[in-house]
Amino acid sequence: MAEQAMPAQRAVTIEEQRRTIDELETPVLQVWDSVLALPIVGSLDTARAQRMTEALLEAISSTGSDVVILDITGVPVVDTATAKHLLETVSAAKLMGAEVMLVGIVTRTALTLVHLDIDLSSVITRTTMAKGMELAFARLGLEVVRRAGSGPAHPASDGGGPL
Amino acid sequence: MARVPIVRVGPVLISTLLSGLLDQEVLQLQEELMDSIEQSGARGVLLDISTVETVDTFLGRLLADIAAGARLMGAHTVVVGLQPAVAVTLVEMGLEFKAVHVALNAEKGWALLRRLLAP
Repeated sequence: MAEQAMPAQRAVTIEEQRRTIDELETPVLQVWDSVLALPIVGSLDTARAQRMTEALLEAISSTGSDVVILDITGVPVVDTATAKHLLETVSAAKLMGAEVMLVGIVTRTALTLVHLDIDLSSVITRTTMAKGMELAFARLGLEVVRRAGSGPAHPASDGGGPL
Repeated sequence: MARVPIVRVGPVLISTLLSGLLDQEVLQLQEELMDSIEQSGARGVLLDISTVETVDTFLGRLLADIAAGARLMGAHTVVVGLQPAVAVTLVEMGLEFKAVHVALNAEKGWALLRRLLAP
């Protein structure tokens, strides 16, 4: 057995690393009143997706949130299995009455999704978290405006519109 | 057999599903809800399932059926108070909840119904 042959020190190291990875689990962030965000980093296996979904649903329930933004910028490869997990999370959150957005769809991810013929038409998707926030604000009837005479002075930011 | 009360508030019928309802009782509720919609011309149904801790395929199907039936009779159905475990189970069942609107709690569900029923 490989495990028995492994030096005890190495097994301890691996166990410590596993615990660290567990601690790096996706946090559920309340980014605004009624808005939750989940920055997903790394690949998504079944066990992790389940823990993530549970944490999200509990957070929706306890905070009474209306909008959830799933950010997959940090997911290196969105394959069929990952997409299935994501869609299940989205469906569950929708059943809790939340509107769910999937953001962080970069070119590479979009191409993969198209190539794999994965149907995400049931989900609102955006490229960046900023775009997701913008949409979330719109859904909540909020508007972000720059106060006259404040904010960064460089010309590039003048009249730049929302985010 | 325990009966599930149906309360009418304006154009909306409100009912609460309790945990541990028998299949027969849920079927009876479906029938009574349909009858109520037909007789009262209700335009909305608010189903609170916040005390339901587990759903089986039967109850899941029935919720979808109630909503689909109500839809045919011109009423919107809002199911409120799904517990996290219930939501996960329904997703795992792969049920199509097309005709069903959901909301986190009765308050949000009521607000949603008002929006849906707004002229």
